Amino acid sequence: MKPLVVLGALAGVLGALLALSAQGPPAAPDPVFQAMKDEMDRARSLTVSNLEAPYFIQYVIDEDDNFGVTANLGGLLTERHDRFRSPEVDVRVGDYKFDNTNYVGSGFGFGSRYDLERFPLENAYPVLRRYLWLETDSSYKSAVEAISRKRAALRNLTQSEQLNDFSHAEPVHLVRDFSKPATDRDAWAKRVRSLSAIFAQYPDVKNSGVELESSVGGYYLMNSEGAQVREPENVTYLRARATGQAADGMTVRDAVTFHSLDAARMPGDAELKRGVTALAENVVALAHSPKGEDYSGPVLFEGMAGAQILAEVLGRNLALGRKPAGDGGRGGGGFLNSELEGRMGARVLPDSFEVVDDPTQKEWRGRPLFGSYEVDREGVMAKPTRLIEKGVLKNYLLTRQPVRGYEGSNGHARLPGPYGANAATIGNLFVSSTDTVPAAELKKKLIDLCRARSKPYGIIVRKMDFPSSATAGEVRQLLSGQQGGRPVSMPILVYKIYPDGHEELVRGLRFRGLNARSLKDILAAGDDSAAFEYLDNTAPFALMGGAGFTAEACVVAPSILIDDLELHPVEEELPKLPVVPAPDLVRSDLVR
Amino acid sequence: MSQELNRNYTVLKQKADPPPYFLSYEVTEQEFHSVSGTLGTVDAANSGKSRAMDVSVRVGTPKLDNYHRVRGDRGQFTSGALISFEDNVNSIKRRLWLETDRAYRTAAERLIRIKTNTQVRVAEADDSDDFTTEQPSVSVQAPPDLKFSEAEWTARIRELSGRFKNYPSVLTSHVSAQGQTDTKYLVNTEGSRLEHGRGFARVVINASAKAADGTDLNTFETFESVDAAGLPDEKTLLAAVDRVANDLSRLLKAPDAEPFVGPAIFSGRAAGVFFHEIFGHRVEGHRQKDESEGQTFTKSVGVKVLPDFLSVVFDPTRKKIGGIDLNGWYDYDDEGVKARPVNAVEKGVLKTFLMSRSPIKGFEQSNGHGRRQPGFEVVSRQSNLIVESSNAVPEAKLRQMLIDEVKKQNKPYGLYFRDITGGFTTTQRAGLQAFKVIPVIVYRVYTDGRPDELVRGADIVGTPLASFSKILATSDKPEVFNGYCGAESGSVPVSAVAPAILVSEIEIEKKAKSNDRPPLLPEPTTMENNTRGGQR
Repeated sequence: MKPLVVLGALAGVLGALLALSAQGPPAAPDPVFQAMKDEMDRARSLTVSNLEAPYFIQYVIDEDDNFGVTANLGGLLTERHDRFRSPEVDVRVGDYKFDNTNYVGSGFGFGSRYDLERFPLENAYPVLRRYLWLETDSSYKSAVEAISRKRAALRNLTQSEQLNDFSHAEPVHLVRDFSKPATDRDAWAKRVRSLSAIFAQYPDVKNSGVELESSVGGYYLMNSEGAQVREPENVTYLRARATGQAADGMTVRDAVTFHSLDAARMPGDAELKRGVTALAENVVALAHSPKGEDYSGPVLFEGMAGAQILAEVLGRNLALGRKPAGDGGRGGGGFLNSELEGRMGARVLPDSFEVVDDPTQKEWRGRPLFGSYEVDREGVMAKPTRLIEKGVLKNYLLTRQPVRGYEGSNGHARLPGPYGANAATIGNLFVSSTDTVPAAELKKKLIDLCRARSKPYGIIVRKMDFPSSATAGEVRQLLSGQQGGRPVSMPILVYKIYPDGHEELVRGLRFRGLNARSLKDILAAGDDSAAFEYLDNTAPFALMGGAGFTAEACVVAPSILIDDLELHPVEEELPKLPVVPAPDLVRSDLVR
Repeated sequence: MSQELNRNYTVLKQKADPPPYFLSYEVTEQEFHSVSGTLGTVDAANSGKSRAMDVSVRVGTPKLDNYHRVRGDRGQFTSGALISFEDNVNSIKRRLWLETDRAYRTAAERLIRIKTNTQVRVAEADDSDDFTTEQPSVSVQAPPDLKFSEAEWTARIRELSGRFKNYPSVLTSHVSAQGQTDTKYLVNTEGSRLEHGRGFARVVINASAKAADGTDLNTFETFESVDAAGLPDEKTLLAAVDRVANDLSRLLKAPDAEPFVGPAIFSGRAAGVFFHEIFGHRVEGHRQKDESEGQTFTKSVGVKVLPDFLSVVFDPTRKKIGGIDLNGWYDYDDEGVKARPVNAVEKGVLKTFLMSRSPIKGFEQSNGHGRRQPGFEVVSRQSNLIVESSNAVPEAKLRQMLIDEVKKQNKPYGLYFRDITGGFTTTQRAGLQAFKVIPVIVYRVYTDGRPDELVRGADIVGTPLASFSKILATSDKPEVFNGYCGAESGSVPVSAVAPAILVSEIEIEKKAKSNDRPPLLPEPTTMENNTRGGQR
């Protein structure tokens, strides 16, 4: 996880780096660790008048050398380069049973505000000390304020159950050097520019853009329990987006993203070009396709769409949230817990299904896995976790925040969460079935079902809008317009398949009532498996750019056929087409 | 830009309902480099280049169009969308087209709403048009390329910021340097074709600390120039660091200001800010027309608004005064109108307002003060505000006059405002027609020869008309305050130039303060130095 622009990946891909860890005599102490350690030792004695000293202190410093370039139709729009370090100081007062977190007021900056916006980039020990000193002071004051408010608030409330506030964890020692591969900025700018020029061959694409982000760095973590981590984190992604407008005014869109934890292993030009071309063609096809109609029946999620729907509907629900104390039972703050809460031991998938999250696995079928990491943001080693066995829910993705029925992290704290806690997300989620049918059979099965039920056609989804490339306004609309339960992202590539096997692309459909329960109605899984990589975040539909922090994630899953899903056409007021036709596109790329 | 402007305008004119009568594209290209540091280390280094586009489309007629203000509500049509900073025809044309379409829709919708509104409301007092007629401007003069040596400034920032190590009472400090070039391109359907621009360079030194009672204290100093080469030398900047740090150390020990009414002197820089806030914002033309505005001076043209020894000119054509680069100059405003000096007040009498192309009763032309930050709609804004005085005395004399005034009023002391960071003024009718300005360095001046005493935590409050009548005299030495002014049309570079002024009465009130304690533990490395030996 990294702050702001991108965040990173607990790299871990490079075998060569492993050799550096924990072997041989330690070199000269890293001034960052030295400053952390010295200030932490001093901070243990912090007290305000008769209030308690901290029982836990953790410092995390993210370091990032970030390069970004965006282009449109062969011309660069922005090019920027930033270097920054961002600190995260967690000071807890009270004890593991009851501390300043998990309260509605936790995580707010009650403390002194110092002008610490930019953390020093250089390893000058006295300067690092000074910043950690002020950050710790501010964080400690916030913690003291929060715990006293929490105590006061709870005096008037009875809590149905008393969960501990923080769990113990084995201190980890894992110190590796940042790898700092050089980013060839000019080469990337050139590549982004030329990929963006592909859209110039598609006049029906109304607006388009290609962006690249390359983040090189890593993070330091040290806590008062003895954990000490220095991990490289590099991540590069290239994303293209395009929109078009159908004759009735409806905007259609699609996006494609290529990711890698190692910029050198990004797909080559040919593959990038293929992806961007396919995107442009999808948008043109969507703009010319008919609007979809109401549908109720079996839906086949083919290829990547299978992994996408499982990422969204299953992956996101495997982490449990915790309702903060002191909200007076109003349930305010938009707190929505996992749809799988309280279903431990219950069947959530057909009994042929197994689900494991394994961040420690580095490769799958010869390709690097995007969701691999060694240790999480709380300094806990990532562990392979068996989440669903024979269709029955066995475990959740856990952080050091105890949740109902679970205490003790399994190393999945990857994003900052609400109320002073961290949020759990998947790393590499493997969904498999022991009862598969050849992928081609799935389509046949779908047709057979439709025939049996005298339906004129079935539905195949080949791509979901997850993570979503929607605008913020569109997301608001989706969230507010949904009756009953949490909405899922829009399907982008939806095909009607007729009994004679011919397919027709349709646009403008949404699912109604598709949620974690729908997965019990999976009728069949394919023998294919797609690895779907994405940047997860805490925004609805993991909206691209929707939250400041991202975690690299990957879902490996087969195509799935689900029974009894409902789709309905989006009802919205559509804008008229532009009065002025689009300007002609010229072929020469750069006219000076 | 021209091709797309003409193509869009022609088709919209033929096919759109309502049709536009004016279309303009302004593109602002910005390129910058910046380096920032603290305590001898670099904490940020950024650079970037971008072009933002502003589309202005007017539908209706100059008499009544989509920009018509309705009780304080102004339309927002431009979005400041990014376009390619490379000269790529496909990309630029497409984005211009998309933005024109979006802006046109918003404009047409608002015009229809306004037409309904004007039918149901009582007539407005000022029934002037919505858009002036101006001669087209044609000029192509690219600004010099950005010159900013990141290596050189990194080294300088290290040295300058490292100087703060000598001042242990300073909690946090930063020194940053930035070089920027803005190039503006403007085309409109009246035939204007412009390329113009300028450079900006800036050094900002700031420091903060927390007093024992929780008061947060900040001091800063800035230097502006058109290019990095014009910024002060190392000696001057180091002296400024010392000044910022020493001011802060003194403020930490200074007593709190008490509420007070009495005579005071504003230094030239402080007076500049004072005039900018209290006077300048109230002569911005659009405020005279808007019936939600206080309209302090709307009906005062030809009337004495300041003491008769004062004149105020807004002059965007002045690039330097007394060897100091001014921040508020430009060649053309953001509506393509050529910059020109505007004598707002002559010998105390209000002559005119700052005008954009939004006319007001009696003032049918722009005077080149329509300005904006990319992404905002233009309104009339200040440029270089210059206060001139015919009752100027040497500074020592002015001080003596202050002491005499204190004695005359039988006050315990007078005040000297050396630096003001800025302020707020409410010009809206619904609000209090008052201002607040925030001094950083304030001294009490005693009559018995005691040294001046620094105090902290004072805000100046007042009402504009009463305050101007209390100006007694000025010094003979103009000082320059360079800065950025934020208002409806975003942040724009401005300057305020004024001599020190003596006022017979000013009111200060206590500033809101934080109740947090200063850091609980002492500064770590100083402590470490003291106990070194045992620790490592």
